[in-house]
Amino acid sequence: MTGTSKITRYAIVYSVLSAATFVSIFPFYWMIVGATNTSAEIVKGKTSFGGNLLANIERLLEQVDLGRVFLNSAGLAVAGTLLTLLVSSLAGYGFEMFRSRIRERIFALLLLLLSVPFAALMVPLFIMVSSAGLANTFVAVVLPSIASIFIIFYFRQATKAFPGELRDAARIDGLREWQIFLHVYMPAMRSTYAAATIIVFMMSWNNFLWPLIVLQTPEHKTITLVISALTSAYTPDFGVILVATILATLPTLVLFFVLQRQFVAGMLGSVK
Amino acid sequence: MRRRHVCPCGGTKSMRSKIAHGEQINGWLFVMPALALLGIFLVYPILWSLWISLQVGKGSNLHFGGFANILRLFGDKVFLHALTNTCVFFVVQVPIMILLALVFAVMLNDAKLWGRGIFRTAIFLPCVTSLVAYSALFRSMFESDGVVNNGLMALHLIAEPIQWLTDPFWAKVMIILAITWRWTGYNMIFYLAALQNIDQSIYEAARIDGIPARARFFRLTIPLLKPVILFTSIISTIGTLQLFDEVNNITQGGPGDATLTLSLYIYNLTFQFMPSFGYSATVSYVIVVLVAILSFLQFLIARDKK
Amino acid sequence: MKKLSTRWGSAFGCLVIGAGMMASASASELTVWCWDPDFNVPAMQDAAARYTKLHPDVKITVNNIAQNDIKQKLQTQLLANVTDGLPDIVLIQDDNAQRFLQGFPAAFEPLSDAIDLKKFAPYKVAAATYNGKSYSVPFDSGVTGLFYRSDYLAAAGYKPADLQDITWDQLIKIGKDVKAKTGHDFFDLDFNEAGLVRAMMQSAGKWFFTADGQLDIIDNAPLKAALETYSKLWKADIVKPVSGWSAYTGAFTSGDVAAVASGAWMTGTIKGSPDQSGKWGVAPLPKLDGIEGATHYSNWGGSSWYVFSSSKQKTTATDFLNTVWAGDIDFYQGILINQGAVGSLLAAREGAAYKASDPFFGGAPVWENFSNWLGQIPSVDYGTFTQEVNSAIQAQLPSIAKGGSVDEALKAINDRVSQQIQ
Repeated sequence: MTGTSKITRYAIVYSVLSAATFVSIFPFYWMIVGATNTSAEIVKGKTSFGGNLLANIERLLEQVDLGRVFLNSAGLAVAGTLLTLLVSSLAGYGFEMFRSRIRERIFALLLLLLSVPFAALMVPLFIMVSSAGLANTFVAVVLPSIASIFIIFYFRQATKAFPGELRDAARIDGLREWQIFLHVYMPAMRSTYAAATIIVFMMSWNNFLWPLIVLQTPEHKTITLVISALTSAYTPDFGVILVATILATLPTLVLFFVLQRQFVAGMLGSVK
Repeated sequence: MRRRHVCPCGGTKSMRSKIAHGEQINGWLFVMPALALLGIFLVYPILWSLWISLQVGKGSNLHFGGFANILRLFGDKVFLHALTNTCVFFVVQVPIMILLALVFAVMLNDAKLWGRGIFRTAIFLPCVTSLVAYSALFRSMFESDGVVNNGLMALHLIAEPIQWLTDPFWAKVMIILAITWRWTGYNMIFYLAALQNIDQSIYEAARIDGIPARARFFRLTIPLLKPVILFTSIISTIGTLQLFDEVNNITQGGPGDATLTLSLYIYNLTFQFMPSFGYSATVSYVIVVLVAILSFLQFLIARDKK
Repeated sequence: MKKLSTRWGSAFGCLVIGAGMMASASASELTVWCWDPDFNVPAMQDAAARYTKLHPDVKITVNNIAQNDIKQKLQTQLLANVTDGLPDIVLIQDDNAQRFLQGFPAAFEPLSDAIDLKKFAPYKVAAATYNGKSYSVPFDSGVTGLFYRSDYLAAAGYKPADLQDITWDQLIKIGKDVKAKTGHDFFDLDFNEAGLVRAMMQSAGKWFFTADGQLDIIDNAPLKAALETYSKLWKADIVKPVSGWSAYTGAFTSGDVAAVASGAWMTGTIKGSPDQSGKWGVAPLPKLDGIEGATHYSNWGGSSWYVFSSSKQKTTATDFLNTVWAGDIDFYQGILINQGAVGSLLAAREGAAYKASDPFFGGAPVWENFSNWLGQIPSVDYGTFTQEVNSAIQAQLPSIAKGGSVDEALKAINDRVSQQIQ
């Protein structure tokens, strides 16, 4: 009995996952195919590979200083990710592990503030940043997003699964709080950090509106800004645009490949 | 004189107070960097924009208008239309996506499943696909003579091509499909990570006790995942209520405002129309109020289940 | 904690000083913001090269930024009253100009004193005139034409002469015949694009506002005629519905539909399919039926260059615009040939390129035609609230296309815009 239902179960699981995979991957296939075709072919809906890849890459390099742009995006994303993870996980841990009525109220307020659309904050942020002389700098791009309520919220929820006993045991062992965070909490929450890294990196890499407003000169452009400029034309060259978008997509993809094993890695340091 | 604190950790009274006091200081230390940054980069701009929302006038010719902007909301048919659309998207899309993400995560949490890594990567791929690429793709796929219609007709599910892009109803459906496609993998990641934090021995004990798979899912997994589910549901609420990218790039709010959302309306008010910054700030806070109400409800529901 | 704050403080200080050092640029450097790497950017780069040849000490950098992004940046900075980082010259589409000029007075530098703007097509100059001063150097004209597949029309028995001096009703009849004989729809239309309606309305000399800035929708006969024509096009079943720019251009560049009514700048897109050379023709825009003062001449799009009054290189920027854009006729021939940009400098029309015939369009002197039409486009005041009306019209297009009442649509548009421009 268990045998047949197991097979049915696996059959259902595989068909559902395969369908989901196909649906999810098809656009990627389309992107890659498009990058090898000319713009006219893409518009006509061609779904087979063509021979225009090199030409598209050449045209892209003519129009855009790709190395510079990539470096900009990468630098911002890496710096932003590291800082955001640090500051936000500290706060998430703090809110969850050290309860106090005031902080609970503050946290509730923060959740509310999370819903304010960025468009409402852009202008005052920009005024602030310009009056500090930081317009057109990468510092200004990164600073406002380091304390991410979103990530603080995430870490707080994830920390609910972190056993208080671990912390108490460490305290008894004489560890200071910051040591507990560094040596007990962070390793234990590895999968959470892995997930958060991917999410934060992605948010930072794909960040568009704020860098658009803050960055002024071509040397400071990020890849999202460049792609936007490429699409704004009477006759956009879709082949070139798709090459750019594939390149823009690669870093996050690579990061995902590298980190996804962490989801599988269980909790280190047992509870027993 | 030692102060009395309420401390959950037990111990002698004086030790309790010392620990509690230490806890307070540590509590603040951990959250201070974030709070300081937020104070500067979030709270101040919010106060500024709240002030602006009380101003009326065009462009930089602003003057105080009190509640004029709020009153204007009630007479603004376009706003009401955008509000309705946004709520429709929320009510339909968020539950579907969360359910799907949960199902996928649980399926993929099986260590014995072959190809887990491939499936996981594939379902996450849409999240990293750039907005430009996938909106161009969705537009082309959902054209009346596009891939989707051809496929549906080949499967004899429809007799005539659906006008996905030019029919108000189907355009909404397509947007919901686009959002779900894009963000399910994202939510799945959170569930997967949380599932990893669940000690497998709990499941072993349950299996030994003879509890069937479905009951294990509903009685063990879901409750243990509740914090993360609540998290993703609130984040998705915020995301959908702030929906902008898809409707701006795939349908431009069309056809005929069928997919106009609050954020797109704010964008138009700020950047396309003669700018009424005060009014657009006011509409922004409508989103905040909505999210507040909906999040409060969700927190309430989560607490009640206990 | 104390260590932390001093570390942050000194880091901050270093950043500020560093930023300050970066900000001081060399004396003769101009920055230009514009969009489209195939049209505006190369045109401006060409102009820059010409000027630099005459003035080697001036360096002009052209920054390619998407049009919507430029709007967002400008708006944010102007509202924040932060002029650091603004370029010296920026490109703004004509129907957006008044929004910026009226919303942020004093942000732009009036150019009417330094440059003789009578050299340009009057309707372009009018678009950037506010309170008696003009603020732009006009760039490309969006003079409209009816681009059509001459081979499809020939298959239905029509010659180019049949498209001269006709009304929209007559064109619809031609469209029906073409569809019957070739199976191709005549136009493709996007509900998110009301440009055709606007062009039709302007061809009869009207816009959405009266001379004194009042909303003019209900009693606007050309607008009503335009919407009715729009409705008739759909009723005649000669329209292919599309959504999005690439689907729109794809429909006629792939030969799916027989024609497109658009601005002269569409030439570049059409000529992007070299295998269709000789199969296209350009006719004047049809007239609106039953409207007094209806003409064949209108405008769709087109932009102009503006100088910021906060620019530290205003004089150089103005001189650059004056020397090349208001004076170099040879330059205009170049951008016509290379980018298909029809300049608004009236004298440029005397140049050789403008007189040349184009084999792509069956040997017709298309540029000469566009130039002639250019001078006859009725001047209208685009006013501040064009985008609001545009958006209101777009919201009604689907129901009009389904056969809905044009009068009701007009009323809805009027109500909606009245509410928005308070």
